[in-house]
Amino acid sequence: MKSWQRYAGVVFLALAALVIQQSVWVLRLFDHGQPGSGFMPFGLGVILAILAICLIATNLGAEEQHVPFWEPKAWLRPLLAIFITSVYVVVFDDIGAITSVVVLVVCWLFFVERKGALVSAGTGVLTGLVVYLVFERFLQTPFPRGLLF
Amino acid sequence: MFDVAGLWLGFQIAFSPVNLLWGFIGCALGTAVGVLPGLGPAATIALLLPISMKMGSPVTAIILMSGIFYGAMYGGSTTSILLKIPGEAASVVTCVDGYEMARQGRAGPALGVAAIGSFIAGTIGLIGLTAMAPPLAEVALKFGPAEYFSLTVLGLLLATYLTGDSPLKGLTMAIMGLLLGSIGLDPLSGAVRFDFGVADLQSNIDFVTLAMGLFGVGEILISLEKSEAASILTTRIKNVFPTLADLARSGWAMVRGSVIGFFVGILPGGGAVLSSLVSYAVEKRVSKHPEAFGHGAIEGVAGPESANNAAASSSFIPLLTLGIPGNASTAMIFAALLIHGITPGPFLLKEHADVFWGVVASMYIGNVMLLVLNLPLVGIWVQLLRVPYAFMAPLIMVLTLVGVYSVNNSVFDIWVMLFMGILGYLARKLKFDLGPLLLAFVLGPIMERSLRQALLMSNGKFEIFVAKPISGALLGIAVLFVLYNLWAARKKTA
Repeated sequence: MKSWQRYAGVVFLALAALVIQQSVWVLRLFDHGQPGSGFMPFGLGVILAILAICLIATNLGAEEQHVPFWEPKAWLRPLLAIFITSVYVVVFDDIGAITSVVVLVVCWLFFVERKGALVSAGTGVLTGLVVYLVFERFLQTPFPRGLLF
Repeated sequence: MFDVAGLWLGFQIAFSPVNLLWGFIGCALGTAVGVLPGLGPAATIALLLPISMKMGSPVTAIILMSGIFYGAMYGGSTTSILLKIPGEAASVVTCVDGYEMARQGRAGPALGVAAIGSFIAGTIGLIGLTAMAPPLAEVALKFGPAEYFSLTVLGLLLATYLTGDSPLKGLTMAIMGLLLGSIGLDPLSGAVRFDFGVADLQSNIDFVTLAMGLFGVGEILISLEKSEAASILTTRIKNVFPTLADLARSGWAMVRGSVIGFFVGILPGGGAVLSSLVSYAVEKRVSKHPEAFGHGAIEGVAGPESANNAAASSSFIPLLTLGIPGNASTAMIFAALLIHGITPGPFLLKEHADVFWGVVASMYIGNVMLLVLNLPLVGIWVQLLRVPYAFMAPLIMVLTLVGVYSVNNSVFDIWVMLFMGILGYLARKLKFDLGPLLLAFVLGPIMERSLRQALLMSNGKFEIFVAKPISGALLGIAVLFVLYNLWAARKKTA
């Protein structure tokens, strides 16, 4: 896990560099002698850089006991869930909110949770109905209209 | 000492049928999320933020959310005692003796003592809140920008040091929260920061989007890594009402736990988790039979369970009087108040007495509701553990996705939430605590505005922060706190 902590430190260091660059070159550190919009981000960027260096420094060297970042195949289900959700967001405007909810739940249960087609479809339709009743009818959320609804 | 008129007004508000109903829903939901491992009160409040925005009255919305927060403290002990799986972080220590009691066939008294202790401590915490909040709000009225800046610095430092295992990681998360909070329009100059040409980023990241992503989506993704907790309960719970001997043994533990929880809960970052750990350590130290701890000592259940409930009540003191939330859940309540156009802080009591007293009174009522929900009805909550997480995960995901869209009707917000969810997932994997990030995100605008206003007042001189007595004292405490922790860490490694 130490190596992953070091990678995290490098990411934070890169972020700190970006924040400092933006604060100095894009925003204003001082405005008419007073702190400007880049003043606090600049300070935060400097602190973040120091913390990132400390994080890297405290995680140097070999690990006493190797701890894998992911157990074998443990990344698969979260990745599938992220993919299905991303597809949901992409089609949200086109096929409509309620239909996309049904598709999301069906795909999630079928592919991520490995449930049967009937159970997945039933739960998906039921969830779509509940979302329609609660959000569209009760809370009157203006959802995008789609192909079916 | 007590503002009786205020409290009377509060009870009139809290006893209205709508508020009673939402208070009950909040307590029941809180107990449910407390019982269910994985879904905490912060995530649940985040999920309900969009719905709360549709509620007409801010009092009702805050009553619902408070109910979830302190209700979770009640429910958290159930799985700790019966399954040795803490439903809530604040109930981790209850696993030790609570589960041992259950193994010895004494699950009933353990659950009973946890519920009674929670009720007593919650009530003591509320009495403290009722007594201390008004005078503290009076003092806070004297605070200027310098004092507020120092207070937020101290609050964030305490929160990062007292939560999580690594102050280094906690501070990094706090800085990340402050930076995320600075994306969009600068509140003072109106300049746009860190938008990188994306028009949607010019209007700041929405708190609901951030909270639902980090806590809702992040929690779901991490839970997908684990195989399903299939421990279907077979234990039959009998005699939830403890015997007189049990009560005699646990009485003082409840009182001590209440006092510890109350004071630790006021500290930013202190909260329920720390108070329960401190209480357990104290109980073990003062006990005539410390060797019994870890083998089913009832004091080991009564003390920590009382402490975490007292802490839940007292954590409302800095939120409602100073406008400084001390943990992730109160940060969500802070955001909910802002969404309803109410700024938590010293003026809350003067300008929105109905909100302040309504919420406080509802907590008294909620405590009684929770006692009923958790003593005779504990068996019903246990049945919740039979609901497979496989079905809950996509349903929670749908709630977050639809919920976050309903706030601004923006698909961009859903993308931001998903991105935050992935960040939350990775942060959990790398053992970065997300609480400081959320607190910093909430406190960031207050901190920056105070810093720049104070510097404006002093013509750019930083001495203002130490020249003003309250501000200087707060910064002094912050410096001493950091130095002490550095010294302690050095001593530990030496």
